[in-house]
Amino acid sequence: MSDYQYDHQTVKGFIVSSIFWGVVGIVVGLWISIQLWRPELNIPPFFTYGRLRVVHTNGLAFGLGIGAIFGLSYYIVMRLTKRPLLFPKLARFHLYLFNAAIALAAVSLFMGMNQSLEYAELEWPLDIGVVILWVIFAINVFGTIIKRKEEQMYISLWYIIATVIAVAVLYIVNNLSIPAGLFKSYHLYAGVNSANVEWWYGHNAVGFIFTTPILAMFYYFLPKSTGLPIFSHRLSIIAFWSLVFAYLWTGAHHLVYTPLPDWIQTLGIVFTLFLIAPSWGSVVNGYYTVGSDWSKMQTNYLTKFFIMGITFYGLQTVQGPTQAIRVVSSLIHYTDWVPGHVHMGTMGWVTMTTAASIYYVIPKIYNTEIYSIKVANTHFWLVLIGQLMFSITMWITGIQQGALWKAVNPDGSLKYTFMEGLAKNYPFWQLRTVAGLIFTIGMLFFIYNIYMTMRKGKALAASRA
Amino acid sequence: MSGEIYRKPIMFAIVATVVILIGTIVTMFYPMLTPEMHPKLENLKPYTALQLAGKDIYQREGCNNCHTQTVRPLKTEVMRYGEYSKAGEFTYDRPFLWGSKRTGPDLARIGGKYPDAWHYQHFDNQQAFFPESNMPKYGWLKDTRLNPAEIEAHMKANGFPYTKEETSSLSSKSELDALVAYMQVLGTAVAKKPAQVRAVAEEKNPLAEDAKAYQLGEEIYKQNCEACHGQDGKGGIGPSLQDRTWLGKEGDISDSQIFALIADGTQAGMPPYGAQLDKNRIWSLVSYIRHEQQSK
Amino acid sequence: MTKDFDDTNIADFEAKDTAKKLPLGWLILFWGLIFWGIYYFAMYSPSISGWTQEKAYEESLTK
Repeated sequence: MSDYQYDHQTVKGFIVSSIFWGVVGIVVGLWISIQLWRPELNIPPFFTYGRLRVVHTNGLAFGLGIGAIFGLSYYIVMRLTKRPLLFPKLARFHLYLFNAAIALAAVSLFMGMNQSLEYAELEWPLDIGVVILWVIFAINVFGTIIKRKEEQMYISLWYIIATVIAVAVLYIVNNLSIPAGLFKSYHLYAGVNSANVEWWYGHNAVGFIFTTPILAMFYYFLPKSTGLPIFSHRLSIIAFWSLVFAYLWTGAHHLVYTPLPDWIQTLGIVFTLFLIAPSWGSVVNGYYTVGSDWSKMQTNYLTKFFIMGITFYGLQTVQGPTQAIRVVSSLIHYTDWVPGHVHMGTMGWVTMTTAASIYYVIPKIYNTEIYSIKVANTHFWLVLIGQLMFSITMWITGIQQGALWKAVNPDGSLKYTFMEGLAKNYPFWQLRTVAGLIFTIGMLFFIYNIYMTMRKGKALAASRA
Repeated sequence: MSGEIYRKPIMFAIVATVVILIGTIVTMFYPMLTPEMHPKLENLKPYTALQLAGKDIYQREGCNNCHTQTVRPLKTEVMRYGEYSKAGEFTYDRPFLWGSKRTGPDLARIGGKYPDAWHYQHFDNQQAFFPESNMPKYGWLKDTRLNPAEIEAHMKANGFPYTKEETSSLSSKSELDALVAYMQVLGTAVAKKPAQVRAVAEEKNPLAEDAKAYQLGEEIYKQNCEACHGQDGKGGIGPSLQDRTWLGKEGDISDSQIFALIADGTQAGMPPYGAQLDKNRIWSLVSYIRHEQQSK
Repeated sequence: MTKDFDDTNIADFEAKDTAKKLPLGWLILFWGLIFWGIYYFAMYSPSISGWTQEKAYEESLTK
């Protein structure tokens, strides 16, 4: 048992670290949301919108997201292989290196060291660090799986394996660059080709960081917390293979109507639309699983997190493909609609599911119950309201922007200058800040609940000893 | 779909890798080997040392978070920004800087649209030009000198030609100089379409006697022109509109010629407004300009 | 608390639901999207239908 305890400390370490980086990312997010309507809050050189926005996206995707993914994946892998991690000390080193890398990453982005590749902004020395992090993770995950004590690999393990492989290929290929000093490099690819490589990577960062590892959590923690078996194993199989097959074709939907060759754009659009099917495979599986006993929604406080999470995943995976279609893209691309879309996925699906998984894991590690279900419910409603308000506000302003940009006078001249369009965003941007604040308060309830559970667990352990 | 594979992790990993690589090869690796991914316009030139330094600063400050650099082949977009982007314009961009969000306007055709002085003043205080702008101020860039050794290394990494004199002269330039130089070269490999020649039916301003037109003209002037041509048209970055000198030549020009200047812009840095202002508004502007001319 | 699936044999646990049929609605969605994809690819591929975004732009100017 002591092996498990050591590994659980590492899992806990990742969870606590990810929450810490999450707070940093959210605070910066609130800050930049205010900068959009109060430019005076730009403080050059380190705290202008252009530098802070990447701290926000990297802090949340890599700090909160990947931190939680590393920790919860380790937990899932141990449970499903029925053994402790093969290299527990390496996992601990992984945790320290992760925090060092994220801290350096944040500093480097404040300093303006930026490859200008979305979601691959970090400069090449940090890229090497990130690759080492994933290699360590891969060694531990594969090693533990190979030496497993349970023959059958459960669905969650498939998703974790696919994540490791895809991230390795994507991250290395897109970050190949020509160094021009310790803190500066130029993309190995140029122009149109650079765009194609970057968005092949960029969209699959969404696919293999915001989707597959979160599905691994979903498929593991939903049946665990409800006690209900997954509805259809066959559906899981088809959904898994078609998802990991189709995702890699879709990057070009970010480049619709750019100079990228038409056929690549069209292929990207087609496969993006197809992705609705595997995505909804998981949605249907989730609904039917809980559908066998809907009372779980009331009796088990975590069920609604998972069902709401998968619902937003379902909405996200319909909205996303719709945006890829040329005529829709021509209206909403480059507008605030897109951040609205992204935030439904990250705030609704990823954060909701991850938080529920953490609610499940922390009491298990401490051998206790959650501190307060009431606080968890308050957290649930606040993040739900905050996220909905955020996304809906952004969709409205996005459609408005797109429409104003296209509007013409009877004689064919443009009806609005760019500035007139921009000015109309301000009320929506202010509302968005309020929505973000509501979401943040919800997350504070979550953090408080986790903190109190850990305290309770420590006190219990002390009294037992 | 035999169940065996779910008991053999190494086999599973190999199959998953193959599945992932199919789309990767078709949409990403294969195109890379074809010439259509490496086009170059004939008159596209590598960046000069100063321009590259400006591009580095553009990246460092994360300008691409709010500005795109690609004009889509859509009617209203071409009207607003200029000729749509061509694949062969970006051969020297490592990486591409097309961006994905237009909080600010697209910059693909910003080169030559305004004079340098406009950029210097605008970077320093955007709100003086557009009171409702939310762009952060970047005037502080003028306080830092460029580092020739660093830029030389960057030129080498890109494989761009340069001379020692060129890079060593950079030590007297500021970061703002570099950024402006970069702005001015953007999109210039595509020749500006001889601005859409507008058929001006009327030789004389049809709204000349209309008092309302003067008022509308004043409003439009304040929004679009005052930042460069000064209060009441007394001049600034752009020339005075009160005198009777046009395009550096003495002597007045006709109403319809003023109309054309506003609609089509000039090579000297006056942007075209023909796509943004309808005929009525341009004639109103002409009324306002004539009024200011006469009152002096 | 009842025994969870990862406390028992996972293969047995999965075998229970493998027999279930795939939901019909989902199957229609799956195949429908594949057929739609083939149609859309043919419609918007320069080498098949001759459509290009440049041509579409030129056409939009004459409207």
